[in-house]
Amino acid sequence: MKKRAITLFINGDEYNITVDADETLTQVIRNQLNLTDLKHCCGRGECGACTVQVEDDRYPTGKKIINSCLSLAAMMDGKRIYTVGGLEKGGTLHPVQEAFVEQGAVQCGFCSGGMIMKTVDILENNAKAGEAEIREGLEGNICRCTGYTKIVEAAKQAGKVMAAGK
Amino acid sequence: MSEYSVIGQRIPKLDAREKVTGRCKYAGDMRMEGMLYGKLVRCWDYAHAEVVKIDFSEARKVPGVVKCLGPKDVTRKNYNTTIMKLLVPAVFSDVFGEIADLNIFNARVKHQGDVVCGIIAKTEKAAERAAEKVKIEYKPLPVIMTAEESKKKNAIQFTPLKPGNLAANFPDSFFPNNEYGWNAEDGKTVHQKFKDADLVVEDTFYVPRQKQVQMENHAYVALYDDRGRLNCWTSTQMPKLVQNLIGELFELPLTRVRLVQTPIGGGFGCRLGMIAEPHACAMAMAVPGIPVKIEYLREEDWVASESRASGHFYVKAGFKKDGTPVACYGDYQVLKGGYYTHGSGPPFCTAAFMHGMYKWQAMGCKADIWFNNMVPFGAYRGYGNPENTFGVEQLVDRACNKLGIDPIGWRKKWAKGIGDESWLKGVNFVSSGLDDCVKEAKKKIGWDKKKKQYANQKGVKRRGVGIGIMQHTSGAWPMLLEHSNVIMRLNEDCTVEIMASVSDLGTGAHTAVTQMAAEALGWPIDDVHLKCCDSDVNGFDIGAHASRTIYCVGRAVMQTAADLKKQLLERAAQNLQLKLEDVEFAEDKEIVCTWDSSKRINCRTIAEQSIYSFDDPATGKTIGIPGQMVAHYSDFVKHCSPPFAACCAEVEVDIETGEVKVLCLSNAHDIGKAIHPPSVEGQLEGGAHQGLGYILSEDIYYDDKGLCLNNDFTDYKMFGASDMPAENYVTLVESAPDDIGPFGAKSCGESALMGPIGSVANAIYDAIGIQITDAPVTPERVLAAIKKNGGVK
Repeated sequence: MKKRAITLFINGDEYNITVDADETLTQVIRNQLNLTDLKHCCGRGECGACTVQVEDDRYPTGKKIINSCLSLAAMMDGKRIYTVGGLEKGGTLHPVQEAFVEQGAVQCGFCSGGMIMKTVDILENNAKAGEAEIREGLEGNICRCTGYTKIVEAAKQAGKVMAAGK
Repeated sequence: MSEYSVIGQRIPKLDAREKVTGRCKYAGDMRMEGMLYGKLVRCWDYAHAEVVKIDFSEARKVPGVVKCLGPKDVTRKNYNTTIMKLLVPAVFSDVFGEIADLNIFNARVKHQGDVVCGIIAKTEKAAERAAEKVKIEYKPLPVIMTAEESKKKNAIQFTPLKPGNLAANFPDSFFPNNEYGWNAEDGKTVHQKFKDADLVVEDTFYVPRQKQVQMENHAYVALYDDRGRLNCWTSTQMPKLVQNLIGELFELPLTRVRLVQTPIGGGFGCRLGMIAEPHACAMAMAVPGIPVKIEYLREEDWVASESRASGHFYVKAGFKKDGTPVACYGDYQVLKGGYYTHGSGPPFCTAAFMHGMYKWQAMGCKADIWFNNMVPFGAYRGYGNPENTFGVEQLVDRACNKLGIDPIGWRKKWAKGIGDESWLKGVNFVSSGLDDCVKEAKKKIGWDKKKKQYANQKGVKRRGVGIGIMQHTSGAWPMLLEHSNVIMRLNEDCTVEIMASVSDLGTGAHTAVTQMAAEALGWPIDDVHLKCCDSDVNGFDIGAHASRTIYCVGRAVMQTAADLKKQLLERAAQNLQLKLEDVEFAEDKEIVCTWDSSKRINCRTIAEQSIYSFDDPATGKTIGIPGQMVAHYSDFVKHCSPPFAACCAEVEVDIETGEVKVLCLSNAHDIGKAIHPPSVEGQLEGGAHQGLGYILSEDIYYDDKGLCLNNDFTDYKMFGASDMPAENYVTLVESAPDDIGPFGAKSCGESALMGPIGSVANAIYDAIGIQITDAPVTPERVLAAIKKNGGVK
């Protein structure tokens, strides 16, 4: 397999690495960089467990939301990537994380990282997103434990905090 | 104000922060020095075939390959994935005919995804590449998918241990006529009793092969270490029982088997017993001293790990004109899949939950479980109850409709209650909150108003409301062993280390058990810590199944706390030179004399002196009472306090497209006492998600070769965030606390799945006047049923 030298900026940290050209972003982040806050589940972009944000100027927030299992790491060369592991700042949880804790939106927790990143992205685009918008936005992220009720409640709570913070 | 200070509080779950930051390490996240990767080579192209030849020559050439393992390289002992034989007396195991028919690597493939051999390599990628290069020659065998094919006289046999391919039924020696139930008081059997009925309704229902779809793919790390100990890190729901099974399979004493439970990324029954622990351990034993990790791909999980039972369930119910329930009979023809695993377990529970629900004059249910080439069925949340609910709840509504009786009133009148026999003979209900559940469920959905509103509808979209009720269980006694051990060790600062093998599947069990311990001791929650999940530390526990954890472990926690408190009182009395009956607990860990409050000692002093024990240099006398305090309780619960629930659903059926939309669900659950209310709500809300999947969208589909057609999240349709009813109400009914359950608590883990099944089925019936007998109720099935009926009501 062809190798490629790339640079990734993950949650602000710079990583200069050599990757196989066919390796996905999930594989590289988890297996090479050992950043296991990013979870791997279906590997084919169906469940959303590996959701991350990637810098992209074409979007109003400057970030695009993707399934990292569907992106090749080699194609992310030079990009800034944001995973759930980078949301906590100086020991303080992000409002979305805080709301997930408070609302009891976490059960087994395996989908939580991806679910939180998707929620962050929905709310960064529109902190005043209503219930229908939140539910539709979360469609690509599967949770088998919660029935989504408390996740949606958490998103609404975080939206209020984020709207007030702007 | 509540009489309790810790339980009932909506505190954040103890594991929430590590899960929202991603710091929680599941088995797949584990990395160890020098770790190797194992890959199971599965048969993807056949559901039934003999393995003729395995050729590793090309696989061995892949760089990074360490070992290729065939059937002869691992133990040839047969095993069964389940823990069933450990939980019943040996005589029972024999009567039920439990067999071990599985090998680590199988010479005959009995379902797609069966494991044939394995690769160990330095990287996951190398292991996967080598697995692709293994050349396996198969001799295809006839594929059997239905019960009819399986029972044919000349059908290929799955195992000589089960002639005729009948994997299991209810043995005649225990169940006369192979039926579970009861005869009428006049001595008539259920079959004879139907003659006394004025109305008999019957139908055959297809019940689907639902998949648990826990989000964490199965993953294991195993290490056969330099001391000759076999270590396995796994997210099994039952670490102590799996430790026992692994010890037996590899012929090791339990001192040489260590099971460490990793955080469980969802269970729902799929991690009940063993999955690939035998494979991980066999690989570890092939490379002593080096850890080996196996991580499934999602598509492997789908085709190879046990699902819910499916098949055809014939149900017949007889009534008097006034609605009096006369007789109920069930005949469940079940598809086992390729291996015995749980045998008759879930179908027996289908019969059992039929047994526990209504006051029929006579009742009986049989089940024949036939081998076929599907993935074996195993345990899935509800364990037989969804099948019962889908059939019986619909027939009750059909009969009520024909007799002009209110289906809610009928259920309140004829559901079993306190003093009646529950799902198991000899176990009577000791509490019931069913009436309040019905009241609350009805109220929140606005039943009366909607019922009137939808009485006469025209147009394409028809709405309806329906009800379904259920009873379930808290633990599996007396069907299965119920045993939990709790140890409380008092630290020198008067805090408590609790050692108990409590499995938390994301349910909040660790939080709730910690809350109960703090409450029982009367101390703040920060003063107790729960240590679990390592067989080197923890005593015996069944693990998580049968909605048992809070009920069974909670009781053991209360007994242990009572013992520790008694020990503290004894030491206080001795210290104060008083009699035991003269001292009692006061605020802030003080123990005081009942008749002279100046005589007092703090538990902190007792705890400190118990460890840092010195003799007074002046007098030579020992200060305080030496010896660290430990309390232990080994609890065998002798009940299963079944909880009840009532669920109301409102649906909209498009009679041109066949689409069913659930507009509102209102599930009220007889919890007795909610120890950690957000977790109970979470169980009910999440249970609804899986119940809606069962009734409306989920089944595993196979082609005629027995190959799975929907082994991914796209083709296996589960409800997404916007498919769920925006109004998904849950009510925790605490008006009927249980005398046996800890603090009055009954279970809630499995039961929330059932209410939505019966209520949605009946709401569809209310909307279009037709009952759909096959689940999931897909648009195609709705349209077919409308066509067959010649239109809607």
